[in-house]
Amino acid sequence: MFSTDDSIVAIATPPGRGGIGVVRVSGSSALEIARRLLECRTPLEPRRATYTRARGLASSATAPCGDVLDEVVATYFPAPHSYTGEHVVEISAHGSPVVLEAIVQRAITAGARLARPGEFTLRAFLNGKRDLVQAEAVGDLIAAATPLQARVAFDQLEGTLTARIAAIDAQLFDLIARLEASLDFSDEGYHFVEPAEAARAAACVAGRVSELLCDGRRGRMIREGATVVVAGRTNVGKSSLFNVLAGNERAIVTDVAGTTRDLVTERIDFDGLALTIVDTAGWRETRDVVEREGVERAVRAQEVADLLLLVLDRSEPLTRDDERLLASTNDRARIVVVNKSDCAAATGFSWPNDDGVLVSARTGAGIAALRQAIQRALTGSEALRDTAAISNTRHIALLEEARTRLTSAQRAAETGHTPEEFVLADLQAARECFDEVVGARTPDDLLEHIFSTFCIGK
Amino acid sequence: MRFDVIVIGAGHAGVEAAYAAARLGCSVGLCTMSRDTVAHMPCNPAVGGTAKGHLVREIDALGGLMGRAIDATGIQFKLLNRSRGPAVWSPRAQADKRLYAAWVRAALDREPNVTWHVGKAGRILVEHERVTGLAMEEGEAYRCGALVVTTGTFLNGLMHVGPEQRPAGRHGEPPSRELAESIKSCGFRAGRLKTGTPPRLHKDSIDFERAVAAGLFTEECGDASPIPFSFSTTRALCNQVRCWLLHTNDRVRDLVCANIGRSPLYNGRIQGIGPRYCPSLEDKIMRFPDRERHQIYLEPEGLDVDEIYVNGFSMSLPRDAQEQIVRALPGLEHASMMRPGYAVEYDFVQPTELRSSLETRRVDGLFFAGQINGTSGYEEAAAQGIVAGVNAARKTRGEPAMTLGRDQAYIGILVDDLVTRGCLEPYRMFTSRAEHRLLLRIDNADLRLTPVGRRMGLVDDARWERFEARRGRHARNMHALDATQVRSDRGQRLPVRTLLRQPDVRLERLLERGCVELDLEPATRALDVASLENDVKYAGYVKQEAAHAERLTRDERRRIPDGFPFARVPGLSREIVQRLSEVQPETLGQASRIPGMTPAAVAVLGVFLGRSLSP
Ligand SMILES: Cc1cc2nc3c(=O)[nH]c(=O)nc-3n(C[C@H](O)[C@H](O)[C@H](O)COP(=O)(O)OP(=O)(O)OC[C@H]3O[C@@H](n4cnc5c(N)ncnc54)[C@H](O)[C@@H]3O)c2cc1C
Ligand SMILES: Nc1nc2c(ncn2[C@@H]2O[C@H](COP(=O)(O)OP(=O)(O)OP(=O)(O)O)[C@@H](O)[C@H]2O)c(=O)[nH]1
Ligand SMILES: [Mg+2]
Repeated sequence: MFSTDDSIVAIATPPGRGGIGVVRVSGSSALEIARRLLECRTPLEPRRATYTRARGLASSATAPCGDVLDEVVATYFPAPHSYTGEHVVEISAHGSPVVLEAIVQRAITAGARLARPGEFTLRAFLNGKRDLVQAEAVGDLIAAATPLQARVAFDQLEGTLTARIAAIDAQLFDLIARLEASLDFSDEGYHFVEPAEAARAAACVAGRVSELLCDGRRGRMIREGATVVVAGRTNVGKSSLFNVLAGNERAIVTDVAGTTRDLVTERIDFDGLALTIVDTAGWRETRDVVEREGVERAVRAQEVADLLLLVLDRSEPLTRDDERLLASTNDRARIVVVNKSDCAAATGFSWPNDDGVLVSARTGAGIAALRQAIQRALTGSEALRDTAAISNTRHIALLEEARTRLTSAQRAAETGHTPEEFVLADLQAARECFDEVVGARTPDDLLEHIFSTFCIGK
Repeated sequence: MRFDVIVIGAGHAGVEAAYAAARLGCSVGLCTMSRDTVAHMPCNPAVGGTAKGHLVREIDALGGLMGRAIDATGIQFKLLNRSRGPAVWSPRAQADKRLYAAWVRAALDREPNVTWHVGKAGRILVEHERVTGLAMEEGEAYRCGALVVTTGTFLNGLMHVGPEQRPAGRHGEPPSRELAESIKSCGFRAGRLKTGTPPRLHKDSIDFERAVAAGLFTEECGDASPIPFSFSTTRALCNQVRCWLLHTNDRVRDLVCANIGRSPLYNGRIQGIGPRYCPSLEDKIMRFPDRERHQIYLEPEGLDVDEIYVNGFSMSLPRDAQEQIVRALPGLEHASMMRPGYAVEYDFVQPTELRSSLETRRVDGLFFAGQINGTSGYEEAAAQGIVAGVNAARKTRGEPAMTLGRDQAYIGILVDDLVTRGCLEPYRMFTSRAEHRLLLRIDNADLRLTPVGRRMGLVDDARWERFEARRGRHARNMHALDATQVRSDRGQRLPVRTLLRQPDVRLERLLERGCVELDLEPATRALDVASLENDVKYAGYVKQEAAHAERLTRDERRRIPDGFPFARVPGLSREIVQRLSEVQPETLGQASRIPGMTPAAVAVLGVFLGRSLSP
């Protein structure tokens, strides 16, 4: 398993993202290891970035002695004021994977051990540097694919989410304390909380959880991205539209019906949203085995899509295939895209424009409106802003559970017939959902809260 | 002379321990300073209350004394939280303190296995980390297989009344110093706590009728048909006294403020930590200056007793100040004070020194129970007494200890809290300490614990038969609720059970209207009806809680071997290792409840439990 008495090293920035990359060494001998692989005359000063060079080691078999690897900036963070709470040296170099790998190799030769995934965070966590939410956010940060994604992860890192959940938790905790007090101190002559008031408070807490969840869904979309599938019968211009949206010429476009035979995917940064956009084979009855396989894949892709772009070609009358597709996707999240607006509408083509987006993949007309429609469909009307957003699937699940229990507590309290201990059973269960995020509350905390709020006891 | 088990102290813990060990067939030496203070109530002469009432029901269900003692000698009975569900119903009763003590002493006198020894215990005899006997201060020594120490507030007890300090275990009794030294010399970590008691007034100096007529006092009567504490009480209980409620006024507040410098609590003379749930009058006034008035109850200490207990008025101001303050209360202008209130400071042993059997880890065969473990309250003491008594007896026979789970009994919660969390202030039971409160009701205490008591050998045949009869009745009644159909408001015919699920339909009403026939015993009727109604109406909640309890027991089942090297578990911080080594949790579940444990630390510990650790 993880041992924590040795020094570990790894590349700390996500792989394959150009710019600057960082190699992190953490542990009691981090400084010693850094000294052996850097070419600096003076010792590293705490928390001061030092411009220097990384070099190969005399003992290294792969690189000749003194071979200069790269120009780097090294920073030493002494314990406990570092990412992991241990001595840490961070070495920033140009982000070529080859250079970074080589630095890691040198560090290993100098006595470090290659860190396992999450091991820095575990150490940070074990040294009390991160709470559970923050520890998870580190992983998110590392996997961030777009700047906004990184930003959301960063918010968690700063504890915004913790702070928001803590605020909700505090309100819930106070309600629980009052109800508990009315059970344990029923003969103290206090009215701790009336049932109606308890129901209102539960509703209020549930509302705040809902708000957070709303942000949460956006957060998940930001983190995991959304899948948008372009569908339609053959030759309506799906591949052309795909290329326009993707901003390149990935998909082959011809005027031969049945050109696209397999799924073509592209990951794009769509105004801050990580989108996977998929072009599919056009729908038609066919005997061609390859094409039929392509059509089946198209159908499966449609099933997993967060959003369908159903493309119609207005230069031709609607066909039976069009009708069938329109009917079968009626209950799905979809946008009907009426393509080829540069051509006149064919007689026999009837699709009300206000229920579709009129575009021309060829001229680019209407594409901006389509992009807005996609944005709206995926994230709600609000533009993506970097408010505290829960981006972890597990947190969303926990909050949803909390909301369910809160609602049930609220309903029980509203009847006026359900004794407090049952209302409390739900409230306590809701509260426990926050344990994982803000830490557990003990009965002693509860009593502390009661005794500091009320003058109780004989 | 040799006993299987010696018990030091005949307070509420000691009497239960001695009784249990004797019932289990051990020869028991019961050593106490005086036979006049057996099961004495130095503070409020009342038993039960929220959560404490649960403890008494559980002690009774296991076969202990307290429930029967209070039913026999109670003079006013009340069920608290009656407007709520049975999970938080708690019986409370005023006792005649003299009759109570006499009843318990007589019960022990009837036990042939119990030998009394009046004297002062001095030294615990230990050989090779194993207890071998007890030496009295006077010199003689006894040998034993197991020793249970239940010395309450006596270890280095120090009494305070204003500036006066006097070494005392409690009012009128000497402290235990030699024994305190002996315990310390075994290496136990000790601490200091404090508790207090209010003044007592002479009942003839108070004109209750006039004060009630003038609206100064409100009369408080017991319940019309009291619910007994004991499952074996069948006779109807009756209320024989009234109590009175009054409130403090501005004069009281001003007098306390004027005299606060003379209170040892506020001038630094008392160092021990007191219970926040029993604040002294000084604390109430100083910490909550905005509260206009505080509740005070006047409670007779017995039928033939002159003393009136002033509930809610404990203080340690000088005698003259107390007298003035008492007379400032409305209706008490002429009250004469028989005894002033006082505070007492005493040593306790950190209960993290104990296993869940209440045996100490340092000395084999040595058990601690009661206030010595940092608790406060008669019921808490008695609950530990029965656990320690049973386990001391089992120890002498080489049998595994009886431990009760947190989802099984408040007693289990009490012991688990003590041994895993330790005490920073006097520990009292509350229902909010129970994470499975809906499962731990007073009406099902017997279903939960009487089979355990029977297995241990505490439950005699007569009690067992009654228990089986009650269990049978409950099952039959449940069946009757299914089998009987009744017409609902909308005219449908429904089984009673289905109808009863609606929140506003009450079983008591259906019985009154003759809609369903149930087999009910008059003595336990209210509880039995509540049991049935609860099982139907809140079945969903109860099932959910049971499932939750089941999930948690997985960690409870993961045992941590004795002497497990926590220090060698990689990744645990030094503080956590230190806490773990101090507490020596017996299961992963206990480890998770130690203050300061993080989920990650528990996870890491869980991972390493199954592995061999490199040195
Ligand atoms: C002044 C005062 C105020 C209190 N106030 C409250 C309160 O407000 N709320 C509350 O819940 N509880 C209160 N209590 C606590 C309650 O009385 C105790 O928790 C309970 O009685 C403890 O029971 P026990 O069996 O542990 O010890 P105790 O009932 O104290 O019994 C101790 C026994 O040990 C014997 N003993 C001691 N030393 C020796 C020795 N060396 N040799 C032989 N015998 C010995 C004594 O004679 C006695 O029989 C108060 C107690 C006191 C004294
Ligand atoms: N006039 C006009 N022609 C278009 C437009 N979009 C696509 N086309 C043409 O329509 C034909 C089919 O385009 P594709 O993008 O290959 O259509 P597809 O739906 O992917 O076809 P399959 O992959 O065969 O199903 C090509 O000749 C395109 O040039 C448009 O907006 N206007
Ligand atoms: Mg195509």
